[in-house]
Amino acid sequence: MFRYIVRRLLYMIPVFLGISIISFFVMYAAGDPLNIIRLGRPNITQETIDALKVYYGLDKPIPIQYLTWLTNLLQFNFGKSLYGGRPVNFLIGSWVWETVKLQLISILLAFAISIPIGINSAKKQYSKQDIAVTSISLFGVSMPTFWLGLILIIIFSFQLGWLPSAGAYGAPYLWWDNPVLDEIAHLILPVTVLVYVMLAQNIRLIRANMLEILRSDYILAARASGLSERKVVYKYALRNAIGPVITYLGISLGAIIAGAPMTEYVFNWPGLGRRYVDAAMRLDFPLVMGINMVITVMTLIATLIIDICYVYIDPRIRLR
Amino acid sequence: MAETLLNIEGLKTHFFTEAGIVKAVDGISFNLKKGESLGLVGESGSGKTVTALSVLRIVPKPGKITDGKIEFNDENLLKKTEKEMQKIRGSKIAIIFQDPSSSLNPVYTVGTQLRDVIMAHQTVSKTEARKKTIEILEVVGLPDAETRMREYPHQFSGGMKQRVAIARALACEPTLLFADEPTTNLDVTIQAQVLNLLNDLKKKLGMSLVMITHDMGIIAEMTTRIVVLYAGRVCEIAETHDLFERPRHPYTEALLAAVPRLDMRKTLRVIPGNIPNLIEPPSGCRFHPRCNYAKQTCKEDIPVLEEIESGHFVACHEWQNITLKGERSH
Ligand SMILES: Nc1ncnc2c1ncn2[C@@H]1O[C@H](COP(=O)(O)OP(=O)(O)O)[C@@H](O)[C@H]1O
Ligand code: SF4
Ligand SMILES: [Mg+2]
Repeated sequence: MFRYIVRRLLYMIPVFLGISIISFFVMYAAGDPLNIIRLGRPNITQETIDALKVYYGLDKPIPIQYLTWLTNLLQFNFGKSLYGGRPVNFLIGSWVWETVKLQLISILLAFAISIPIGINSAKKQYSKQDIAVTSISLFGVSMPTFWLGLILIIIFSFQLGWLPSAGAYGAPYLWWDNPVLDEIAHLILPVTVLVYVMLAQNIRLIRANMLEILRSDYILAARASGLSERKVVYKYALRNAIGPVITYLGISLGAIIAGAPMTEYVFNWPGLGRRYVDAAMRLDFPLVMGINMVITVMTLIATLIIDICYVYIDPRIRLR
Repeated sequence: MAETLLNIEGLKTHFFTEAGIVKAVDGISFNLKKGESLGLVGESGSGKTVTALSVLRIVPKPGKITDGKIEFNDENLLKKTEKEMQKIRGSKIAIIFQDPSSSLNPVYTVGTQLRDVIMAHQTVSKTEARKKTIEILEVVGLPDAETRMREYPHQFSGGMKQRVAIARALACEPTLLFADEPTTNLDVTIQAQVLNLLNDLKKKLGMSLVMITHDMGIIAEMTTRIVVLYAGRVCEIAETHDLFERPRHPYTEALLAAVPRLDMRKTLRVIPGNIPNLIEPPSGCRFHPRCNYAKQTCKEDIPVLEEIESGHFVACHEWQNITLKGERSH
C-alpha cells in the first residue's frame, strides 16, 4: 500500500508538468493582458506599458517565461497578480480553504443523505416513495445550478430574509451575532445547491446498484443464514452498492471542481472557483496559472484518496 | 418408522410478473423423515429451487407463497413471523446454493461471513465465534483454516468456495439441509469430493438432507428416497432403488433414459420437447405435450398423486395400463 501511494505521488509529477505546460501556452494563445490594461486606461503611455512588461517578465520569449515561472513555483513563489501586484500564493491560500470547505461539506452531506434514500427506494421499488424520489432526482439531474441558486436566493434571502445571499462571512444581523452560526448560515444555500446536484445522481446510482445487489445470490444466501434484515441490507448489500458510487465520484471530481465556479459565482463565494473566473476574464496570467496548478494538485490528490477508498471497500481491486 | 421432520402439503408459490402469474410451484406435497436423504429431481425450471426457498420463506419478489402448509417439527412455518423465521434460517434449516462464487459476499472475508452467521444465532463472544469459525472450516476440510479465514472469496478455488459455503450452512448444526445442485458448477473430480464431504457431515451431524439436482447419477448415490418434480408439480415419489428399477411415471422413465451410462458409452440424451411455459401451463397433466403415452383424459383432467404401493406415489392417469423401463433396461 505504502509503495503504491509513493508510486502514485511520483506519477503525479509528469502529469503536473504536462498540465502546467499546456495551460501556460493555452493562456498565451488567449490574448495579451496588457491589451486589457490598455482598455481599462485608454491614456496609459507606451513607456508605462513597456515598464510593466519588463516588470512582469512579459518581454521574454514564452519558453523562458515558463521556465522562470516553474523555477519560482518550486520555491513556492507563484508570482504576483497583474492587478494589485499581491503575491499569488498569499491570495490563493484563503480561497483554497473556502472552496475545500464548501466542497467537502457538500460531498459528505450528499452521501449521508443519498445512501438511506437510495436504499429505501430500492427496497420498495415502484412504491409511491420510490416513484417520488426517482422523479425528483430526475428533475435534479436536469436542473441548471445557477438557476437553482438564484431561485433559492430570491426566496430565502430576498423574500424571507432568513439567509445571507452572498459571501462566506459577516452578516451580523443574522443568527444571533454568533460567528459560528454566521458561517453556517452562509454555507446553507450554496451547500444546498451543490448537494442537490450531486444528490440526484447519487440516489439514482445507489438505487440502481442496490436493486441489482438485492437480487444477487449472496444476499439470498445471507437471508437464508438468518441474518437480520438490517444486517443484510446495511452490511452485506450496502458495501457492494457503494463501490460504483465512489467510482462515479472519482470520475466526476473534475466536473465537480470545475462546476464549482458557477455556484461560487452565484453566491459570491470567496473561493477559488469564483476568483478563477475573474482572473481568467482579466487574463491575470500568474493568478490563473496559480489557480490552475492548485486545482490540478487537488484533483490528483482527491483521485488518489478515492482510489484508496475503493480498494478498502472492494478487496477484489488490486493495487497495481 | 422414523418421525416426520418436514411435511409439505399443497404448497403453491407463484411469481406475479408483468407477463403474468408464473406458477413455479403449484400444489406440491411430500414429506421428509428425520435423518433421511431425500432427492428432489426434475429438469431445470421444474420448481426445485423455489420449493427450497419457500421452506425458508425467502422467495424473492415478485414471488409469493399463495397456498399450502409447511410443517417443520410439527409447526407450520407459514404461520411464523419474520423474526421467528430468522431464528430458524441458518440454525435449524440451512441451504447450500448452486454457485459458490456468487453465493459468498465478495467484499467480506470468509471468516467474517461465517462469524456473522454464528453470532446471529448463538450468544457467544467474538473470540468464541472466531474459534467456532476455525473449527467448522477445519471440519469441511479447508487446510490452514486460521489463515485462510482472513481471505476473501475470490482468493479461493471453486471447490474450496463450496466447502466454505457448506461450512456457513452447517455452522449452527442445522437439522435440515437443502443442497441445491451443490456440485453443478464444479469440476468432475471436485464433485465427488464435495459429495463425499456432504455424506460424511450428514452422518456426523445426524441431519436430514434434501438433495436437489437434475443429475440422476448423483441422486442414486446420495439419497434413499426421491421426489420427481415436473413443471411445479409432483409426478412420482418412491424409494430410490424402487424408482430406478420400476418407475411408474412416464416423466421418470424419460429422466432415467437421459442418464449417461459409462458402461454403455451413451451420450447424454435429452428429453424431447421443452419444459412448458408456467404462465399458461398445459391443461390436465402438464407433461402431456411431451408424453408418449398421453390419452385424451390426460389433456382434460389433472392426475392426482395416489399411493399405488406402500411408499410409492404416482400422479398419472395411465400408470396401470403402461409398462415403463427402469434404469437397468436401457
Ligand atoms: N424471480 C423470479 N421471477 C419470476 N419467475 C421466477 C423467478 N424465480 C424463479 N422463477 C420461475 O420459477 C420456475 C422454477 O424455477 P426454479 O425453482 O429455479 O427451477 P429449478 O430449480 O427446478 O431449476 C422457473 O420456471 C422460473 O421461471
Ligand atoms: S397422465 Fe397422461 S400425459 Fe401425464 S404422464 Fe401420465 S400418461 Fe403421460
Ligand atoms: Mg434451481
